[in-house]
Amino acid sequence: MKLLAGLCMAVVAMAVAGTSLHAPVVSLDPDLIGKAPVTNWTTFNGDYTGQRYSTLTQIDATNLNRLSLQWVYRISNVGAQRGAPVPIIKCTPLEVNGVLYMTIPDHAWAINARTGSPLWHYDWVDHGGHLIGQRGVAIWKSTVFFQTPDNWLIALDANTGKEVWKKNYADARKQYFSTAAPLIVMNHLIVGVGGDAMDMPGFLDSFDPATGDLQWTWWSTPRKGDPALKTWPNETASEHGGGMTWMPGTYDPALNLLYWPTGNTNPVFAGQGRPGANLWTESIVALDLDTGKLKWYFQVSPHDTHDFDNTTAPILFDREVDGKPEKLLAQAARNGFFVTLDRVTGTHLVVKPYVPLDYSSGLSPNGEPIPIPDKDPSVGGSINIVNATNWPAPSYSPKTGLMYVNSVEGKAIYYLTDDSDKPSGYGGTGVGIGRQVRVLQAIDPLKGDAVWKHAYPNVNGAPSTVGASILATASNLLISGDDQKNVIVFRADNGQILWHHELNANESGGIVTYLLDGKQYIVFGAGDSLYAWSLGK
Amino acid sequence: MTPTQRAAATRTFLGLGTEPDKAAAARGAPLFAQNCAFCHGEKARGATGPSLITSDVVLGDDHGERLVPFLRKGIPEKGMPAFATIPEQQLTDIVEFLHLQVEDVANRGAYHVLNILVGNAVKGKAYVENHCMVCHTAERLAHFASKYSSPEQLQRNWIWPARDEALTADVKTAGGTVSGTVTQISDFRISLVTESGETKTFDRGPGVAVQIHDRLEAHEQIVMTLGNDDMHDVTAYLETLK
Repeated sequence: MKLLAGLCMAVVAMAVAGTSLHAPVVSLDPDLIGKAPVTNWTTFNGDYTGQRYSTLTQIDATNLNRLSLQWVYRISNVGAQRGAPVPIIKCTPLEVNGVLYMTIPDHAWAINARTGSPLWHYDWVDHGGHLIGQRGVAIWKSTVFFQTPDNWLIALDANTGKEVWKKNYADARKQYFSTAAPLIVMNHLIVGVGGDAMDMPGFLDSFDPATGDLQWTWWSTPRKGDPALKTWPNETASEHGGGMTWMPGTYDPALNLLYWPTGNTNPVFAGQGRPGANLWTESIVALDLDTGKLKWYFQVSPHDTHDFDNTTAPILFDREVDGKPEKLLAQAARNGFFVTLDRVTGTHLVVKPYVPLDYSSGLSPNGEPIPIPDKDPSVGGSINIVNATNWPAPSYSPKTGLMYVNSVEGKAIYYLTDDSDKPSGYGGTGVGIGRQVRVLQAIDPLKGDAVWKHAYPNVNGAPSTVGASILATASNLLISGDDQKNVIVFRADNGQILWHHELNANESGGIVTYLLDGKQYIVFGAGDSLYAWSLGK
Repeated sequence: MTPTQRAAATRTFLGLGTEPDKAAAARGAPLFAQNCAFCHGEKARGATGPSLITSDVVLGDDHGERLVPFLRKGIPEKGMPAFATIPEQQLTDIVEFLHLQVEDVANRGAYHVLNILVGNAVKGKAYVENHCMVCHTAERLAHFASKYSSPEQLQRNWIWPARDEALTADVKTAGGTVSGTVTQISDFRISLVTESGETKTFDRGPGVAVQIHDRLEAHEQIVMTLGNDDMHDVTAYLETLK
């Protein structure tokens, strides 16, 4: 019986295609993780700031005409997945020692960054979970960490793709599912979770990367005895209040604080059963790395009823304010507000709409937007904005001092489909109405105003959840894309289009850049293919 | 896509597991009402007893293999009685009723809007006369509601009558100006169909000037400024124009 179980396991999670003899050997010094990316791209955002900014300048405005495709890796060995007829790469690939690590739900690949040929492929057979996306792996020494749709954290040998250990951290039967990329900080492997179909509480786990032992758990909603419970009608509502940790956060080594964005409140559209602000959903939270204890929070969408899922990256940067150096954090939130905070204390400098909106009556003394109740979803319908942005990564350039975000300007009618006093699940629905226009914005984070904007022309409305990520470089380039399969390079300081190329699909994951053999590469996924570019002759 | 197909597709997309047996659930409904609803609420969302739709035992069960034995035993020390005398088939029916309550919440593809006709038709008529007759005629609005299969479809369409030919453009090049209905436009290319039915595509660049006209501009203004009361009132009025 034991033997049979072992055999099943081997079939279930089989690492295909052995390592070739000449493949690069990956062993990442943990001290390099989270540092500014140059020859490696070691975390989801490249470093711990979330800036997605590269100091590389080999590719610049004068030589973009020589930018040429070096290789394409197309996923050809995965068919239709549940609800997804073709695989779509929504990960940010990591690159270490000439090896790229790429994922889609249930699948991870190591790819030779020089040639685009696969070194290994890991294939997980899930038992449940929503296959909507997979954001990528984390890497530490010679181990790669991968999260599955049914909430298994899997440690893989970075050089062979063989399992080192695995651990289940959430129950897929409760509609928890995972799309996140884990984040390595020192000896902590930080793992977020998703799932909002069934009113479950969000949490963030920290594991020992060597053993998979749990170090701490932080719950997104308060438990018995916590003063934050007064923002919920009762303990049961809080224990079923959502606040998923869908996306990787950022980290300040000097303050030893993790900054994590928390997702939408549950029930999602039906707020009548949970009067109150509903902490700490829809927030940016600062957590102590070693203990997971909450240091401060800023709730971007108090009492959310529009799935304003606060999952966009809280980007860290240092600037002078009134002649004094300040440690800041900025987020272009999905509720349409741009937020700049002091990241030591969580006090706000800027809270200002960056898309046209009319659902807020002002700011609370803490700077949190106050929603107008009449704009809540209702039985007859209520018009409000669509999500102003979504998970595709924004960027910040220390060179221009601007934050870059692909936003969507548009409206929807929100209907309450469950008007009972005990709603559950989503409890409502939204239907887009009018034009949904995608707009790339360059925002001054000290003012909250756009310095330049670029509206992508399209006769079709913008899909809010699929959009290009952004990468900024020290050579004043801003790389992103439209929703008509064009990858586009803009001038970061003024938004002028410098270069574009039409692909077979929209750019769909994170854009990374690194120096390999002295050549600067730009790599990203678009649809079922990973593209690698550098300067040709 | 029919509502049933949409619900099934969403169930697959969300990975919601096995589908509840609706016939069994219908048989289970009166049994649940009689034996369980007093403590757990009519939809099992909790009353004096806990909500069952987020219960570990319910969510861990497919078709009664865990729940039926549980119901036979109960947890008498916590006030949950044992249902040892109810026949197996009836317990299974109660279980399927519970799974259907979960499905109704978790499968948002199975949601449907409620009766959205909450507005005042008289006020709606006044709004239409004041705002819509600048562009539209009474003849155009007569029988308006007969074009739509549901009030929410009507509501969406009067506010935003989406149509393929809404955008037109004049493209000016050294060779002259070409006008037509825009079929697609990006930063780099524009395609349009001229009045004679010819498709023209231009690469956008120096020497190519594009002027876009939006036939739905007035409706875009409505989308951006319409209040909920006005929306409900106009919908209530237009719904009377069968």
